[in-house]
Amino acid sequence: MSPSRTLPEEPAIRSGSEVTESSGPSLLTLGVDFRTAPLELRERVAMTPSEAEELQLRLMASDEIAEALVLSTCNRTEVYLRPEDDETAFRLALELTFGRRAPEIVEQGRHFVLHDREAARRLLTVAAGLESMVLGEPEILGQVKQAGDVAASLGSTGPILRQLVRTALHTGRRARKETEIGVGAISLGYAVVELGRHIFNRLEDRRALIIGAGETGGLAATALSERGVRELSFANRGDARAETFLQRFPQARRIPFEERYEHLAVNDLLVVATAAEEPLFERSDLERVVQQRKSRPLLIVDLGVPRNVDSEAGELENLFLHDIDSLRGLIERNLDRRRAEVAQVEAIVGNELRRFLDWYRGLEAEPLVAQLQRRAEKIRRREVENVAKSFPPELHDDLHRLTRSLVRRLLHHPSHQLRRGDEETGREHLDLVRRLFQLDEDSES
Amino acid sequence: MINLLDIAPLLLLLLYTLLGVDYGVLFFTGRSPLRRFGTPTLWMVIVLHGLYLVGLTAAWGQFPAATVAQAFSILAFAVALIYGLLERWGGDRASGFWMLCQAAAFQTLAVVLRSPVTPHHEIFESPLFGIHVFFALLGYASFAVAAGYGFLFLRLYRELKRGRFTVFYGKLPALEVLERMLVGGLTVGFIALSGGLVSGAIWLAQRRPDGWMSDPTILVTLATWTLYGTSLLLRRLGHWQGRQTAIASLAGLVIILASLVLVQLLLSSVHGTL
Repeated sequence: MSPSRTLPEEPAIRSGSEVTESSGPSLLTLGVDFRTAPLELRERVAMTPSEAEELQLRLMASDEIAEALVLSTCNRTEVYLRPEDDETAFRLALELTFGRRAPEIVEQGRHFVLHDREAARRLLTVAAGLESMVLGEPEILGQVKQAGDVAASLGSTGPILRQLVRTALHTGRRARKETEIGVGAISLGYAVVELGRHIFNRLEDRRALIIGAGETGGLAATALSERGVRELSFANRGDARAETFLQRFPQARRIPFEERYEHLAVNDLLVVATAAEEPLFERSDLERVVQQRKSRPLLIVDLGVPRNVDSEAGELENLFLHDIDSLRGLIERNLDRRRAEVAQVEAIVGNELRRFLDWYRGLEAEPLVAQLQRRAEKIRRREVENVAKSFPPELHDDLHRLTRSLVRRLLHHPSHQLRRGDEETGREHLDLVRRLFQLDEDSES
Repeated sequence: MINLLDIAPLLLLLLYTLLGVDYGVLFFTGRSPLRRFGTPTLWMVIVLHGLYLVGLTAAWGQFPAATVAQAFSILAFAVALIYGLLERWGGDRASGFWMLCQAAAFQTLAVVLRSPVTPHHEIFESPLFGIHVFFALLGYASFAVAAGYGFLFLRLYRELKRGRFTVFYGKLPALEVLERMLVGGLTVGFIALSGGLVSGAIWLAQRRPDGWMSDPTILVTLATWTLYGTSLLLRRLGHWQGRQTAIASLAGLVIILASLVLVQLLLSSVHGTL
């Protein structure tokens, strides 16, 4: 394991380059994300799965790289390496990943480079959603898993990066389970779903009606379809947009625009997103709809600007009317809630990083522990053979059992402690044990 | 035994308060100080409270509802038990704070209104009177739980209506679930109270045929029974919706508490002999 260091000519964009001495594995991470590079550059280095595979194979073709993992999503392209030689690995990865596709990234230093412990931490914070443009977004966890699976299938990850991916996935799952980092909708479409979930017992049993087949209506339809509403209907005055909408959502049923009130009596959720200048739903008409529905609540989300629903309809009993400002307020509140969870997630990341480093130290201690046990066994066997003649042959087996048990018991606790290691003193302890038991001489002999 | 029974109401009050604090912190911050021990602690308190009531029955040789304090203690127990079962059934802990606050409030009344000596009443030897008390207390406990869900329903309804989201939003079950719990509580309470009224009327007819007209508690109970019955009927017919039913449940609980405390303390009645 080599101590981490800052590479020559390395652009000091991230605090990660200010690495301290650590007792973790030698790792190198370089990448771009929305913080370091604009969309125009990120687009150019974003990779399809086959391109990512090819990059991993090319990286692994170098003798200076022992393990490699490529994570490429719409907002990030990151390469995780276990280098045999830091500098060569860095230059090769920089050239293959960014240099050929977007040399400006290298020239302008629009990438980040992290070493060892910070490099490992990066994958954990990515999986936890802390590095996402939309804080706590859930998709990244699946993307990390997929990247890990691809790398494993190519054979480009070894024990260290495989364990790092496992730790990152565990960290991501813990963050979402133990904190509210992924709680609450933060897009218009999902805000509609969230409101529905707070009103209706099971959204899966509900019918939704969308008025307006434009982009905003499509956002709501996507979220509602993903959350599996029982039935999705829509109305649109123009045919061209309606056709496009039907192509996107083939399960949706088109209803005549003029029959919107009749259909509202059987739908529980209405999303209105048109460019109409006049309200499409008047209070008096909605009052009749509410009466027909008896005690069943009705959620209306008006995403139109100007508003498509008479705002006075919000006074009707059991009718919940929300406009775009209301949804924005909800999204902002949810983002605040997520931001408040960052410290808690950081603590989880720290905890899991420590476990990863402990695991690594255990890995490092294993050969020494095996050596220690071999040496002890050699001494035991020699001593038993020396005294065996003094004992009757029928006691020889007992003698072996007794001495083996003694040696095992004596070494149990020290072996356990060496495997567990300690961040501060782990390496010192390994050296001390090596010296005390003359294990270097032993291995040489 | 008697000494232990004397301090038990206060101990139970402390335990309900502790649980209320734990569930309150969970509700407002999302993290329970007792962590995974919260629910087992709730059940431990429910079992202890049940043992206390069994102990009282054994010590006094009668159903432990001979005083207003004991009746409130049974109410606290019933509310905690109903909530415990609901939490086990639905897995929702968000409403726990509000239900356990009710249980703690009832137990506080049980401690405050406690009389030094518990009288023996021969009326408790009548099985019909026992049935009457059981049904009445079950009804009151169900109304208390319904009022708790009614309160939560009104809070969430208000936030969803106004589009101003506070701590209630995102933590409570869906509005329809709260409404179902509210109506369920009212229905069970109404049936139980009906049973309590019928059994009480038969028992009273045997002992004091003309007594009920002068008993304010009976009159108030009849009024609340009518209120709950009307609200359930109006809801059934579709004239009332969740909000009105929730308001009725809260109004009913206030009337019940007033009838239990004020009438018993200030007026003489058949129930005042308790």
